[in-house]
Amino acid sequence: MPKKGSPPLEGELLQGTLDLLILQTLVLGAAHGHTIAYAIEHRSEDVLQVEHGSLYPALHRLEDRAWIASFWGTSENNRRARYYRLTPAGRKQLAQQTSRWEELVRAVNRVLGSSQTKPQTRTTGVCGTPLKAES
Amino acid sequence: MSWTRYFRRRHWDEERARELEAYLETETDENIARGMSSEEARYAARRKLGNTTLIREEIYRMNSLGWLETIWQDLRYGVRMLAKNPGFTVVAVVTLALGIGANTAIFSIANVFMFRPLPVTDAERLTVVAVQSKGHTDPSPVSYLDYQEYREGTTAVFAGMTGYALSIIGLSYQGHADRLLVSYVPSNFFAMLGIRPALGRLINPGEGDAPKTGPVVVLGHSYWETRFGGDPNVIGRTVALDGTAVTVIGVVPEEFHGPYNLVEMDAYAPFGLLGFHSDNAFFTSRAEGDVRVLATLKPGVSIKRAQAALNAIGQRLAEQYPEADQGQRVRVFPERIARPEPAVADFMPLVAGIFFVMVALVLVVACLNVANLLLARAAAREREISIRAALGAGRKRLLRQLLTESMLLALAGGVGGALAGNWVCHLSNGMRPLGDLPMRLAFAFDWRVFAYVAGVALVAGVLAGLVPAVRVLRADLSSVLREGGRGLIGESGRHWLRNGLVIAQVAGSLVVLVAAGLFTRSLTRAESIDLGFDPHHVLNVGFDPALQGYDQARAEAFFRELLGRARALPGVQSASLAFSIPLGIYNDGARVYAEGQALPPSERVPGAGFNPVSPEYFATLGMHILEGHAFTDADTAASPPVAIVNQTMAARLWPHRDPLGQRFSYKSASGPYVTVVGLVRDAKTTGLLDATGMYFYVPQTQNYKSIHVLQVRTSIPPESLAASVAGLVRTLDPGMPMYEVMTMDQAMQGANGYFLFKMGAGFTGVLGGLGLLLAVVGVYGVVSFTAGRRRHEIGIRMALGAQRGSVFGLVIRQAATLVCAGVGIGLVAALTCTRILASLLVDVSSYDPVTYASVAVLLLAAALLACYIPARRAMKVDPMVALRYE
Repeated sequence: MPKKGSPPLEGELLQGTLDLLILQTLVLGAAHGHTIAYAIEHRSEDVLQVEHGSLYPALHRLEDRAWIASFWGTSENNRRARYYRLTPAGRKQLAQQTSRWEELVRAVNRVLGSSQTKPQTRTTGVCGTPLKAES
Repeated sequence: MSWTRYFRRRHWDEERARELEAYLETETDENIARGMSSEEARYAARRKLGNTTLIREEIYRMNSLGWLETIWQDLRYGVRMLAKNPGFTVVAVVTLALGIGANTAIFSIANVFMFRPLPVTDAERLTVVAVQSKGHTDPSPVSYLDYQEYREGTTAVFAGMTGYALSIIGLSYQGHADRLLVSYVPSNFFAMLGIRPALGRLINPGEGDAPKTGPVVVLGHSYWETRFGGDPNVIGRTVALDGTAVTVIGVVPEEFHGPYNLVEMDAYAPFGLLGFHSDNAFFTSRAEGDVRVLATLKPGVSIKRAQAALNAIGQRLAEQYPEADQGQRVRVFPERIARPEPAVADFMPLVAGIFFVMVALVLVVACLNVANLLLARAAAREREISIRAALGAGRKRLLRQLLTESMLLALAGGVGGALAGNWVCHLSNGMRPLGDLPMRLAFAFDWRVFAYVAGVALVAGVLAGLVPAVRVLRADLSSVLREGGRGLIGESGRHWLRNGLVIAQVAGSLVVLVAAGLFTRSLTRAESIDLGFDPHHVLNVGFDPALQGYDQARAEAFFRELLGRARALPGVQSASLAFSIPLGIYNDGARVYAEGQALPPSERVPGAGFNPVSPEYFATLGMHILEGHAFTDADTAASPPVAIVNQTMAARLWPHRDPLGQRFSYKSASGPYVTVVGLVRDAKTTGLLDATGMYFYVPQTQNYKSIHVLQVRTSIPPESLAASVAGLVRTLDPGMPMYEVMTMDQAMQGANGYFLFKMGAGFTGVLGGLGLLLAVVGVYGVVSFTAGRRRHEIGIRMALGAQRGSVFGLVIRQAATLVCAGVGIGLVAALTCTRILASLLVDVSSYDPVTYASVAVLLLAAALLACYIPARRAMKVDPMVALRYE
């Protein structure tokens, strides 16, 4: 039985990341799906390989949230293409998500950088049962 | 997800398709620019983009309402599948409808008895208080004097206590008299129950609480409508209640049918009116209990605490008034389990439980049947399901689809079952166990019944659908496609599931059948109980001349004339009058004091039932006078008072002595005395199962009661005389009302006669029949299905020289194994569960071997008969055809 052929974008983090990348790409101006896909690949120096198909559900979702808007236009090689541009709400969202992303990266880095140095402390409960350390 | 998107999702899909196409074109262009051939370029572009269908589906899904959407799809698909197999669908729906219908009927009845609250304030805290005396096992009404003490002494646990005394009286208005069922009530009755008048006013505080006060009457809504045509001007009019002029003051609301479940109360009058009848000891005798006590618990007070508070009062009463209350036990019941009488409280939950178990079993058997049908169909649908799975249907989705189909069946079955159950209840609405009294069973289809039916249908749907669905999904679906549809479920070694279902069915229906058998045997035994009188060939006609304003003298003249003329009718052997009929709905009783036997003050005076009768009574009823003689016309009001006692009374009052010539009083310890002139054989008078109590007869001339029943023994069918007797009555007085005109055999079917036995045997019989039918259909289905699947094998066997007879045997053997296993398991189960029936059976052991044996044989025979058809079909298989078929 075939598995659901969804793109490798499972989990909140990855999904949110793709959204963020799309929004960031559109800051420079309206673009159609093909351009966006290549722009993400190039700008990440080919580290982030997006399966191009997976872009479209993400675009649909963003448009549904009114963070981007779409219109039909003519592409550089004279073909009809659907263009996307950032809405004011999308711009606000981009700023928010970027700062959240940076926070996250900093936090992850802190954890990665400190994990070897500090041993965990343990408190002992009444009957010798270790209490769960609350952070 | 926005709704607008949902409705425009087709548009969106097209839009995305175009967009994806645009991507492909751009990418192809670029690939060509990179130097690929156009075909290569297109192919590479497709690879880069991925599966466009999946992308579109994902977006489509984002636009849909998820589960709602798929449910709708499943529903449409399910309906289509069911419509495509009308035969299967009809059988499955009917099967479920029968199972659910049985449940609906039983629940509707239980709803009336146990679940639906009375339309009164704080119905959930309403309780019934009753007393149990040493001799009597049934909780019975409380005496007025004791009621007062209980009421005053338990204000700590009860927010209020009231009561009612039932009576059948005559109401006459403008020359026309009716017989009514009335409740005599204390003045707090309506206030405590929170009843507001629909018209006029109800009884005021304190009104009519003292004897001979409160000449008013409140009408029941239904009686007001039938008798007075709903006329609001009836308020303030004067009517006569048993000869006492009273004023109509109000009408109760329509939804209040009275405190006594199952009957429609016609009117309510204050206790005080009871004092107008000189012989009524209501206000003065502690020994005679008439008050059916209702009490509302204070919030937060448990039944237990209330019981303890009552016990304290009961103890004090027993010490203070030993002659009346010694050995008396006071009990409190939640009102809902004490309907219509507290006497049922001890066994009602048991009866309800038994019936619920039985209908649940029938439902399970029905579900197993449908499960088996679904399994058989799932076998036939393996290819379809495998293909759907191969095309990407998730297992969860498939499971939901299969369950949707079985739920659809259950839904249809539920609708059918609700209709069937309702119909059964309407049939039982027509029963008259209380004679002419207005019985109100009112098996209305309220929300409780609806919720129950919906719940049962839901359970049935899941039960029937789950097994086959899980079975299909656990199977290795891809192997089906490889094997070319030779089936997993039919594969040998996997029969156990279907076989197990059949065994369970047979076992379940056997348990139901055994219960039905036991109740039927019980009825047969009840019907052969020695009654002590001969109910056949007797016609009863009830009279109450007081309704026509007759006084004693006029009534006596009327009945003398009537008796004489009745005796002269062709076909009449004898005719007599009595106050009550044996096993009827009313009776009279009194304390009896044997002359010269002073009881110790601590001992309760024994009670006896009695019946004023005319001289020919014993001949008419076929009762044997063992010693002495029957009454004669010489026994008059002026002659010395006499009585005829039954064997029990003679043995109790005058053990080892000749009762003839002994004297006793049924008025007081100091006389007046009556002399025993005859000893009559014990007869059943109050209830079929009651131990025969003390009973005596007195001449009607020496104890006048207005209520009479004329009894005529005939040599021709008694019902054929009804018209001529009615003609006689009309010539004597055209306005004289007659009631309960029926044969004694018919009267015996009443609440104190065979009614409950007939109901029990009837209901369980129907359930047993249902169980049997369903089990037989189940066995037939499985055997013919497996025989069909084995056509190929049978063909080979026959080609190799197997005889037709041995093929027949092969099929029958398989079926017999299943049925025998089912019967065996069923017998063990029945032996362990029917023990709880023991207390409801008359003279039949719950291990009655005859019942068990005959039920087992019946089930075996019916099941094997059901196998005969598929077995014969298998026998007739043409080996060539069967083999070529492959």
